[in-house]
Amino acid sequence: MSSYGHPVRFGVEILGGAGAPGDAVSLAVLADQLGYDLVSFADGVEEGDADPLTLAAWSAARTSTVQVGASRLRATARPASIIARGAGSLQLLSQGRAMVMLGAGTPAVDLDAVEESVAVIRSLHDTARRSRASHSGTYHRLSGAEPGPSLEQEVPLWVHASDAAGAGLAGRVADGWTVDLAEVDLGGLETLSAVVDGAATDAGRDPREVRRAVTVTGPAALDADALVAMVVDHGMSLFVLRADGAAAGVSQMRTFIEDVAPAVRDGAERALPPGALTSRRLRRADVRARRRPDIAYDEVPEDLVEMAVEPGDAAFGKVRSTYLRGGNPGLVLRPRSEAEVADALGFARQHRHLPLGIRSGGHGISGRSTNDGGLVIDVGALDDITVLDQAARLVRIGPGARWRDVAKVLQPHGWALSSGDYGGVGVGGLATAGGIGFLNRKHGLTIDHLRAVEVVLADGTLVRASGTENSELFWAVRGAGANFGVAVAFEFVVDEVDEVGWAQLAFQAPDPAAYLEAFGRVVADLPRETTPFLILGQGMAQVMAMVDSSDPAVIISQLQPFVDIAPLVQQQVVIAPYAAVMNMFPEAPHDGRGEPASRSALVREITPGFAAASADLIRSGVSHWYQIRTVGGAVADVASDATAYAHRDTRFALTVMGGNAQRLDQWFEPVRRHSEGLYLSFESDRSPDRIADAFPPATLARLRRLKAQLDPHNLFQDNFNIAPTQDDTRSAS
Amino acid sequence: MTTDYGHDLVFGTFVTPANRPVHQAVEQAVVADRAGLDLVTFQDHPYIAKFHDTSTLLAYAAARTERIHLSANVTNLPLRPPAVLARAIATLDLLSGGRIELGIGAGAFWDGVAGMGGPRRTPGESIEALEEAIAIIRGIWDTDDPGVLAVRGKHYTVHGAKRGPAPAHPVGIWVGAYKPRILRLVGRAADGWLPSIQYLPNGLPDLTEMNRHIDEAALAAGREPGGIRRFLNIGGHFTTQGRGFLQGPPSQWAEELADVALTYGTSGFILASDDATLTETFAAEVAPAVRELVETARRTHGHE
Ligand SMILES: Cc1cc2nc3c(=O)[nH]c(=O)nc-3n(C[C@H](O)[C@H](O)[C@H](O)COP(=O)(O)OP(=O)(O)OC[C@H]3O[C@@H](n4cnc5c(N)ncnc54)[C@H](O)[C@@H]3O)c2cc1C
Repeated sequence: MSSYGHPVRFGVEILGGAGAPGDAVSLAVLADQLGYDLVSFADGVEEGDADPLTLAAWSAARTSTVQVGASRLRATARPASIIARGAGSLQLLSQGRAMVMLGAGTPAVDLDAVEESVAVIRSLHDTARRSRASHSGTYHRLSGAEPGPSLEQEVPLWVHASDAAGAGLAGRVADGWTVDLAEVDLGGLETLSAVVDGAATDAGRDPREVRRAVTVTGPAALDADALVAMVVDHGMSLFVLRADGAAAGVSQMRTFIEDVAPAVRDGAERALPPGALTSRRLRRADVRARRRPDIAYDEVPEDLVEMAVEPGDAAFGKVRSTYLRGGNPGLVLRPRSEAEVADALGFARQHRHLPLGIRSGGHGISGRSTNDGGLVIDVGALDDITVLDQAARLVRIGPGARWRDVAKVLQPHGWALSSGDYGGVGVGGLATAGGIGFLNRKHGLTIDHLRAVEVVLADGTLVRASGTENSELFWAVRGAGANFGVAVAFEFVVDEVDEVGWAQLAFQAPDPAAYLEAFGRVVADLPRETTPFLILGQGMAQVMAMVDSSDPAVIISQLQPFVDIAPLVQQQVVIAPYAAVMNMFPEAPHDGRGEPASRSALVREITPGFAAASADLIRSGVSHWYQIRTVGGAVADVASDATAYAHRDTRFALTVMGGNAQRLDQWFEPVRRHSEGLYLSFESDRSPDRIADAFPPATLARLRRLKAQLDPHNLFQDNFNIAPTQDDTRSAS
Repeated sequence: MTTDYGHDLVFGTFVTPANRPVHQAVEQAVVADRAGLDLVTFQDHPYIAKFHDTSTLLAYAAARTERIHLSANVTNLPLRPPAVLARAIATLDLLSGGRIELGIGAGAFWDGVAGMGGPRRTPGESIEALEEAIAIIRGIWDTDDPGVLAVRGKHYTVHGAKRGPAPAHPVGIWVGAYKPRILRLVGRAADGWLPSIQYLPNGLPDLTEMNRHIDEAALAAGREPGGIRRFLNIGGHFTTQGRGFLQGPPSQWAEELADVALTYGTSGFILASDDATLTETFAAEVAPAVRELVETARRTHGHE
């Protein structure tokens, strides 16, 4: 007896439908309605039948839960590369419901084509490797093909085989083996099962990697006891009814799923030890081979298994890196609830020897939300945005939401929450650090709108922090949140914001120092409605400014002073919703490479010394990005000890980025000497001095005490790590 | 000089088959369908990984639309074996109630094609292959012909392949082409011609000479030049002030396109659009106005 632990499923295989493909897809829609797990279209394309991939794609659009695919697909009729792209699109469009069952005919020559097809499809779907795909086979070739599409889950590749050679191939490479009971008898089934197992073992695989399906038809399909025996004795876990469009076929389809299926499930459950059919997903050996050392992959908590991504998984290409940082983590856990976050942290506590990154929107610069060989807990799935109290404008937002989505949800209410300048940034990272956005001078930092936050602490407990509960944590989250836990929900009071003035102005600025000083003077007298961000380059200045007013006269008058200090070369001023500004750029998967070199400085005034050092830096060419966000205004209304973001009296937040950290520092140090501190979100330097730049002594001492209390073993280190006060724990970085 | 083959005008869009956001291209097809356009088309570049597989996308989009016709613009022949292609098109035409057309090209970007395991063909070979493919495709579709389907080509050979399925309606084979040799193939063997305005070296006036190649080849093959519909892939945007060809208000577009229709015999305009507003404006304000202008002109010039 051999059960491989796979839950029992039921499918229907629909035959060609040469003249009436419409009937074939009606059966697929019926299968979906009846609750079948799988519907596949058998490939008879060489006999003049309808094209199974077309039938599958059409059916995917007309069904919602059933898995769809092609079966007995001829491995020589189409380039395998085209099958790969087609199956990839089917997987994307159907939201993960695609499958491909390749047919291995009896002639051995076909088997090579099947094996090559499997290799080609897998290598084109392997986007994590980041290299072009090549394969030189007899039937199928790739040379430097672009891998893709990038998928959340691999398309399962099965091999249909009724002889030993085919079964051996299935055992060696496939995700599943299917056999037709019209082609082999029970004895043959037993023999072939053994062949599959043997071939799998010889190939270094676990036989459980290969799922088993039988295609049944006629009276055999209705013999539940016989099917139970196949589950129990041969580990079969998918029964596929072969159906044609005839009326008898339809009624058999009903009987099979309504009467036979429950009887088989029941019978199998009774015959097997409890829990035998629910074991967890087993990755293929070649996928497991890409695991990193020192991670207990097989001990990932049950609730996290489905969403976990390992280096060999299809989704790895999408999750390994962040917006600006290349990464190669050993495991990415993607919890979908607070409880799952707690479980993920439990797993992380057992892996203290590895780096741990916490990720929400993946736009971290200071925050190492990816790493090499370590763990990442990605809370991107916690992205709900809910209005809790209309009158109070109280909104609850998950850390995984992006600011562009927040803006979109708030807009119909006539509300906005100042965030940053880029809509793709995530809530979790920004709302635990500060949030210097386009409305900050009028409405304050993002954290100034926070009324409560829910955090899962290092020990896995979920706590709520606000002005009245856990108020020390509430204080700390607003500026140094990454040190204390994983924020799982934020409650903000948002602002009433009508349409805003949005200006993009470009100026000639041949003398950067002079321009900076003039810019500083304009900002000193600038009303709070206007928050300008300046990008200064060699010879050019670009001002992006938001004016919290929909009155053209106000907008023009507040922008005019900028036009007076330098020759305007380009301008675009529009009145638009805040959400439109946050949605200027579409979402794209993150594929950062390398390590960003970013430096931050906060200053009260643009002094001649600061301006001169800046001008030298800009002229040196070591930086491709010199940006000043203006702060001040409402941000400075908040007391410096009210939140862990303490540099309330600074009015300019400078960010510079360069290609080479060392060269950048050489020119940035003189600028830093004129600064009063830094905004941690834009500082990628991990030297201990930077901690003191981010947090004044009183703030830092208070943070250390709280850290010692809530995270004494320093689990959360990925972003401006504050060493706990005791000195028996590891220090920063 | 004026050319007019007297076809009804059709209007469509040319949608980027981007696979992210996953359903974006499908949504644009739905927009075009609801807007009442006649046609929605997608490029086919299987070597570009950020595009959907065009035949999968066509099938999915056809299942999500109701009236609009769909086509690749244009199918990459070297990566799509003709007999399977013919069956896939026929399958979808049957499923969609006769809404599928076959835009097809000889292939381009040979590094990409070869990278995906396809053949690397010279221009001459690619045209030969296309002609052989068209013969196979038509043969597969022609289930009324009791004869054995046999095409012995240099690039494709079928012998005794079963015919069928037959499509639900006469699927148009529209070829993307620019050079004389392939234009002559269009005249001999195709139902439509599908050039893009941006690939006309000297712009619209090139159409005259290109039409001539098609017309002459058609006549030489004993076909009516009017049997070959002339499409044009176009691009533009709507602005309040006129700034150039298809950069102006809808009324300007209408005049320009009517002029193209009456001067060059173009009867299918396919607008590159991934934008719902652009598509809707094209459908609501340009298409009917062009039809009216062309009809009026045809009436005054005495055509029917
Ligand atoms: C293009 C761009 C523009 C930006 N513009 C602005 C701007 O205008 N104003 C501004 O203030 N900032 C801005 N930032 C900085 C940004 O706010 C920070 O990098 C922020 O950390 C990004 O948040 P995230 O969730 O996207 O990042 P992630 O990479 O997901 O996280 C970054 C770090 O934040 C911490 N973190 C993430 N999620 C959580 C959580 N749920 N609980 C606790 N800690 C968490 C972790 O330490 C993590 O390493 C910008 C960044 C980029 C890349």
